[in-house]
Amino acid sequence: MKPHISGLGLALLIAGRLPAQHPMTSIDSARHVLNRLAYGATPGEIETVAREGVLKWVDRQLGYSDLRDPALADAERSFEVLHVSMSDMQAMLQNNQAKAARAQAAGDTLARRQMLDQLRVEQAGDRRSLQNLIAQLQSVTIVRATESDRQLDEVLADFWINHFNVFINKGQDRAYFGDYLETTIRGHALGKFADLLIATAKSPAMLFYLDNAESVANGTDARAAQLGRGRGGIAVRPVFGGIRGRFPNPRAGTYPPDPVAMARAQQAAQRAPRGLNENYARELMELHTLGVDGGYTQQDVINVARILTGWSIDRRNASYIFREQVHDDLPKVVLGQNFPGGHGEDEGMRLLKLLANSPATMHHVSAQLCSRLVSDVAPDGCIDDAVRAWKKSGGEIREVVRAIVRSPDFWAAVNVQSKVKTPLEFVVSAVRAVNGVPDSTPRVAQRVAQLGEPLFQKQTPDGYGERQEDWVNSGALLARMNFAVQLASGRMPGLAVDLDRVVPVTDDHVALVSGVDKAVLGGAMSQQTRQTILKELADVPDPRMARALAVGLALGGPEFQRQ
Amino acid sequence: MTISRRAFMRAGGLALISLGADPIFLDRAAYALQSAGPLASGQKTLVCLFQRGAVDGLSMIVPTGDPWYWQERQRIALPREQLIPLDGMFALHPRLAPLKPLWDQHSLAVVHAVGSPSTTRSHFDAQDYMESGTPDVKNTPDGWANRYCAHAAEHANTPFRAVAFGPQLPRTLAGTSPSLAIDDLRTFGMRAAQASGEQKLTRAFEELYQGAATGLIASSSAESFEAIKMLKTANPTAMAPANGAAYGKNRLATSLQQIAQLIKADLGVQIAFVDVGGWDTHVNQGADQGQLAARLDELAGALAAFTTDLGDRMRDVAVITMSEFGRTVKENGTSGTDHGHGTAMMIMGGNVRGGRVYGRWPGLAPDQRYEGRDLAITTDFRSVFSDVLQGHLGPANLSQVFPGFEQTARIGMFG
Repeated sequence: MKPHISGLGLALLIAGRLPAQHPMTSIDSARHVLNRLAYGATPGEIETVAREGVLKWVDRQLGYSDLRDPALADAERSFEVLHVSMSDMQAMLQNNQAKAARAQAAGDTLARRQMLDQLRVEQAGDRRSLQNLIAQLQSVTIVRATESDRQLDEVLADFWINHFNVFINKGQDRAYFGDYLETTIRGHALGKFADLLIATAKSPAMLFYLDNAESVANGTDARAAQLGRGRGGIAVRPVFGGIRGRFPNPRAGTYPPDPVAMARAQQAAQRAPRGLNENYARELMELHTLGVDGGYTQQDVINVARILTGWSIDRRNASYIFREQVHDDLPKVVLGQNFPGGHGEDEGMRLLKLLANSPATMHHVSAQLCSRLVSDVAPDGCIDDAVRAWKKSGGEIREVVRAIVRSPDFWAAVNVQSKVKTPLEFVVSAVRAVNGVPDSTPRVAQRVAQLGEPLFQKQTPDGYGERQEDWVNSGALLARMNFAVQLASGRMPGLAVDLDRVVPVTDDHVALVSGVDKAVLGGAMSQQTRQTILKELADVPDPRMARALAVGLALGGPEFQRQ
Repeated sequence: MTISRRAFMRAGGLALISLGADPIFLDRAAYALQSAGPLASGQKTLVCLFQRGAVDGLSMIVPTGDPWYWQERQRIALPREQLIPLDGMFALHPRLAPLKPLWDQHSLAVVHAVGSPSTTRSHFDAQDYMESGTPDVKNTPDGWANRYCAHAAEHANTPFRAVAFGPQLPRTLAGTSPSLAIDDLRTFGMRAAQASGEQKLTRAFEELYQGAATGLIASSSAESFEAIKMLKTANPTAMAPANGAAYGKNRLATSLQQIAQLIKADLGVQIAFVDVGGWDTHVNQGADQGQLAARLDELAGALAAFTTDLGDRMRDVAVITMSEFGRTVKENGTSGTDHGHGTAMMIMGGNVRGGRVYGRWPGLAPDQRYEGRDLAITTDFRSVFSDVLQGHLGPANLSQVFPGFEQTARIGMFG
């Protein structure tokens, strides 16, 4: 097909904003867009998008009001976790903890080991067990990233879940994460940034992860808070008799002391709020909004924490609750703004809106988006375009992304094929490149974990990194090569791969390699790669094996690591 | 005081950040390719063993001479007759008995009441601070050991210079200096149905990457293939444990065995990292029996096998254990201990001046405890790490490795 210069390229060239260079063909543009704004192309998709028109494709992708691709509704039905409420998950978690505590308390090592083993087996076998439901969150993410037509939405969902990172394995977050992913993040990924920010601030997942749920005004009587005067405290559920809704005294109660009840009492005692917790306040400004250079001081951190006291979790139904009795009602100053006392929950809302609309936030978050979509080190021009769109649209994420895509930096040659794929991007793009179909088991997600990016399991609040330094090391590259070879062989558990759907078997190696180039690498295969693959095929007589080898080398090779 | 991420990158990252510029390890890789044979011995190695979960230092190295130990741990104190006296004040947990010979030979030192000044009681945060080497600073992008490698005056030029055993690179080794994460030495490399397939694939990929890779991918892949070649030539996994060393069948033992194999094969390991969990004993900690005892049993067994296996080579190998914090002085209501502050670290090998417990013992009386509940800290963990780095590996730019840390006096464990 004769390449023609894309309308966009020509427009930008004429407008003088594109550096003097050979303008991108529509095929090049389509490949670039699918590399950055999607998880790579499926065979033939580059041509399809080129025909539709790259900017039209982008606008269509940004036009969806809902991330969910209706075509995936059937596939998503097999993921029970999408239909379990947070309070049900919480109940399961508490149940498991009680069982585990009982097992741990069994004095005899053998009995304990047996009980723990049995628990593990039970959990693994039961598809609706907490452990498996959590694994389903990873699997459904893989399925969506691979199969959804709303690719840009999936890319942005991944961006936000890292930007507003929560560690799924931290205590209660195992129960809260599912809703966080579905409702908080995916429900707000394309709208106004302020709405997304507020949603995360009120999510049980974030409140627990960064400890704000336990942050109380200095000097609060923690016991009074726990007694739940008024609106429901962090009540310890009555368990095994004797302990009812009060701050438990481990030495009171039945004799001999019930180890399970005492374990829970100990845990509750450890969780007893002692005062202000600055964790969320700091990360809210440093990571979520203003950025580390955003101009806030330690005193600001303290005052933000004071403002957000009371933003907590109602354990009875695993939902957000504002606890007036622990809220710091005194006046504060944050970033030079006066917050007069006595405004309860409202001052927190005011603060979040202030942060969301701050120029430092616009700059910081735009820079991160540019880093994800354009170049590891975000180009200044790109950031400026994004910030301009942010201001103009009142922080509409769609518009910021649209501005980034239309920015000349997005299309500059130096930024094409220049980024390195993260493990998630590599695995998903490899599966897409061969029209692979992941099943509902955790297998493929486990491979992503093995390559270094276990989904939702980043412990630190900064989330998974976006730069090549975060991912490129000698062990990781070997693991990618092994993955590629296994994928191409069709022998990867959890994945159905039929190379007949990708490139036909043929004895003509030159045609085979060209076919692989077109289908799998989108025509981006270098001459050296072509020569090397042809050389390797020379002593492989069986055409099916030759095809698998060619595809494996292409997917594991250097070009495919880049996007 | 926060240290901006950008400042770090400026200081340590250099050419790596800019796109297109060839990173410094392209030169390194080229050097390594030239020196195809094994390196001369004399390479010093530091093995870092992270006990994740906050190990109870008071049970590892028991302060028998402090009456409060006995007072506060009615259920979980070690039985006196089972303890192994080290000096007048401290004794070894009975399950650590395999390490007693090292103590007697002055090859094992202990630092007690050591830890991090951070007040956090979060495992995640505390581990993060200990691995980054910057307590209370959350945005440090790299680990202390990586910064050491980036700034060390002389260093080995092999892909195995900094090695971590486990599925992922730990925070301690994250950063601009190249490090290698090895899950299992026996399966490192290309995998194919047959051995001949492995060779073909390795060669094919190597040529692909040599032909078309650029930047960081080029240098890292060159390292991978160099590592595979070196492993093939040296064949460390075929090396049997020497001197009658017997490794257990647990992950820690296997990893240490493989580290020993890499060392014996002269592959240029300067820093090795391994971690082990299971130390978070809130409930039923046990004493000479139980959870903690079982973990200590594995630990001592693995370390003893490792030191035996290496034999004379231990003069060039130091091992240091570490944990993010310790546990409460007083046992809790479930025969366990909760998150504490100070803990104990063990240092063995090299020319350590062993047979001593270093650090000032603060005492366990209630008014001597941290926040009235924990063993206080009288030695900052960075002092210990600094001492080991300088005393064993050689001169180091410590202000780069531990920015913001003022070392008051050298402990002097090596010499």
